[in-house]
Amino acid sequence: MATEAKSEKYITTFQQLMEEGRKNGYRLDWLLPRETFGAQINSNAEAGGLLLQDIDRGPFAQIPDWSDNMTGRPRGATTRPNAARIGNYSIRTKADIWLKNASQLYEEAVQRQWSSAVDVPWETMEELPDDIERAECQLATFLTEVEFVAGDVPGKWISETTPDYYEPRMFLISQIMDEARHMDVFRKRAFANGGGLMSQTTNVALSGGAIDSARDFTEMSARLHISGEGLVLSIFRMGERMSYNDAEKAIYRLAASDESRHVAFGVMHLQYLAQTDPQRKEEIHSYLDEIELGLVAGTGGQNPAQRGTPSNAALAILLGGGSDAASIEEGGQIALAVRQRQVKEYVQRIKVAGLGDRFENGRANATLAAYVSA
Amino acid sequence: MVQQQTPPTGQRDLDGNPVPDAPDLSWMDKTLGWGIKARVEPFGGGMTIDALNVGVYAEVPDHIPFRNRLPRGAYPAPGAGSIGGYYLQDKHEQWAECAGRLYEEGISRRWSTATDVPWDTAYDLPGDVELAICQVATELSQHASVETEVVSGWLQNLSPGYHEVKLYLSTATYDAARMFEGYRKRAMLNGGGMMLESPGGMNRTIMETYAGWSQTVLGMWFVRNALDTTILRYLAVHGPSEADRVLAARLIPDRMRMAAYAVDHIRFAISKKPELVIGFQVWLGGVEFAQARDLRDPVLTEALAIIFGGSVAGMDEGMKVVRRMLQDFVKMYLSRCKQANLDRSKSLSGAFQGMLSGMAPPPRPQA
Ligand SMILES: [Fe+2]
Ligand SMILES: [Fe+2]
Repeated sequence: MATEAKSEKYITTFQQLMEEGRKNGYRLDWLLPRETFGAQINSNAEAGGLLLQDIDRGPFAQIPDWSDNMTGRPRGATTRPNAARIGNYSIRTKADIWLKNASQLYEEAVQRQWSSAVDVPWETMEELPDDIERAECQLATFLTEVEFVAGDVPGKWISETTPDYYEPRMFLISQIMDEARHMDVFRKRAFANGGGLMSQTTNVALSGGAIDSARDFTEMSARLHISGEGLVLSIFRMGERMSYNDAEKAIYRLAASDESRHVAFGVMHLQYLAQTDPQRKEEIHSYLDEIELGLVAGTGGQNPAQRGTPSNAALAILLGGGSDAASIEEGGQIALAVRQRQVKEYVQRIKVAGLGDRFENGRANATLAAYVSA
Repeated sequence: MVQQQTPPTGQRDLDGNPVPDAPDLSWMDKTLGWGIKARVEPFGGGMTIDALNVGVYAEVPDHIPFRNRLPRGAYPAPGAGSIGGYYLQDKHEQWAECAGRLYEEGISRRWSTATDVPWDTAYDLPGDVELAICQVATELSQHASVETEVVSGWLQNLSPGYHEVKLYLSTATYDAARMFEGYRKRAMLNGGGMMLESPGGMNRTIMETYAGWSQTVLGMWFVRNALDTTILRYLAVHGPSEADRVLAARLIPDRMRMAAYAVDHIRFAISKKPELVIGFQVWLGGVEFAQARDLRDPVLTEALAIIFGGSVAGMDEGMKVVRRMLQDFVKMYLSRCKQANLDRSKSLSGAFQGMLSGMAPPPRPQA
């Protein structure tokens, strides 16, 4: 192969260079070309530039099924025998965190970064009726509280994952960035229009811990990416209906575009795991059993449409257009449609992930069917 | 739950749960401060996070008595428990006045290695220079990788009550990720790829400081960051291609934000608890030792000497630039310490004094 021939020529050249340098007292034992040396990559300015998914080749593109990298070296780097084993990574099995296209999702996140300071037309906000403003602020308080679950928890798992699987790590870092902006934009909404922060949601603090305390990455990802963020995404997609100005519409639209990447990560990881490590499917199904219980009984803590919570009442007020009984009744009906949509989208995601058999064989929570057919 | 306290009327929802007569609206009065209108910045800065600190919300307490995600200033829910983590509940353990501003600045100065570096100017460099760049890229990429692990790992410990810090550290993690992938892209551009891993002494020192975030900041952003920033400054001038110069130059402001947070935080910590200086001084002595030991390994400095000297043949000239660079590194580090009211000039380690005097790495014996 051309690359190999080139590489042999290079090695001779470099041995001569090394000798030359050594005569001058330098060590230069590192000056050795790898087998890919000389193979140029087109930086492709027309097609989005030099993208992470296009760069790795040869040994750098080999993603081990099991990683022995304990020193934190970049994937493919030559090892030093004296480097300390500082990694102590608990995620060293590929199927535990891998997915196809994580680099693409990362580069997409980079391209789609936005600013809550200037990309939301805050100046378009006008004074709202007091009950609507209070409902907006309650929902914003709920969202600013829950959004960073999805930053703190992935953060912990990044530090637990070998850099041999840097692609999912990079995606999760972009997610931390996105969630910072979400925590921030909803706090800004609470203060932008004559309101303020309102009440913390008790069960967010209590059962939000379910995502925090997961001991397995896939278990965490199913709870966070598929369940928690899936529910929130369905609501953001209804943003048009609960917005009272262009600023709110922009917030929901921009946040939804981020959330769809986060949900996609979870679905694609589950899909990869189901395909490559099928003996874990039963275990994953049992996590889904719990998730579905949360979906129908509202024990998840992450769902603003969950019955009996301030954020659910706030949603009903926003969707119905007021806090009088008739408006709340009407808003409640629309909120029910939101919950139906959440369930339908959940079912679809699980099917895409390759675990849809649960909806055929009677394992899925029976109440889900009532939602889907209602 | 509220719903269970409301008597059912016989109506049931799809889940078979009783539907209450009317939703509980008692939350509508639960606010610690109402009627707030934060102002949009008049000069195009938009609605910034610091602009929200008005009225009763302007107070940033010295201690956050909750270990959950209560947004600062929200009405605390009775019975909201601890969800674990978040054990850094004191302001002096994390705060920096500039964190909110650095967060907004990080977002407004965002850039992409995919499109903002003229990669096509870095093809066909001389082989020795290309390999030297790949070696430096390997080490910078690894430094950044460790940084992403460390900062992201700390997020779960830092109280959400100081959200400005958490927000800034999110951008810092993201900025570090950009350095990781920017230098991986650079190394792969001509197939040189990742070469020899970093010696790892400083990586170890930074990672083994889970006892204190401030100590982590000192190792990672006073010392290591000063070295990396100085290398980037020299690459921004002496880089062998436009792409190398642009990549380095674009990364410098990202690095400087980390340094700004670090200096501001340590200065704040010392202002609140002057006795912390003793431990910080001892700790920095250890960090200097680890950094000096890594630099005694010749791989990084040899690679830089090839780049600065233009070839293996030019290494002696290049090594003179490396010595100036290491001198600048120690000066930058000392200046950070001084700004943070943590004077190291009298207790600087011997190895750092050597670099400061322009004597390290020592000249090679001629064969
Ligand atoms: Fe989010
Ligand atoms: Fe998200």
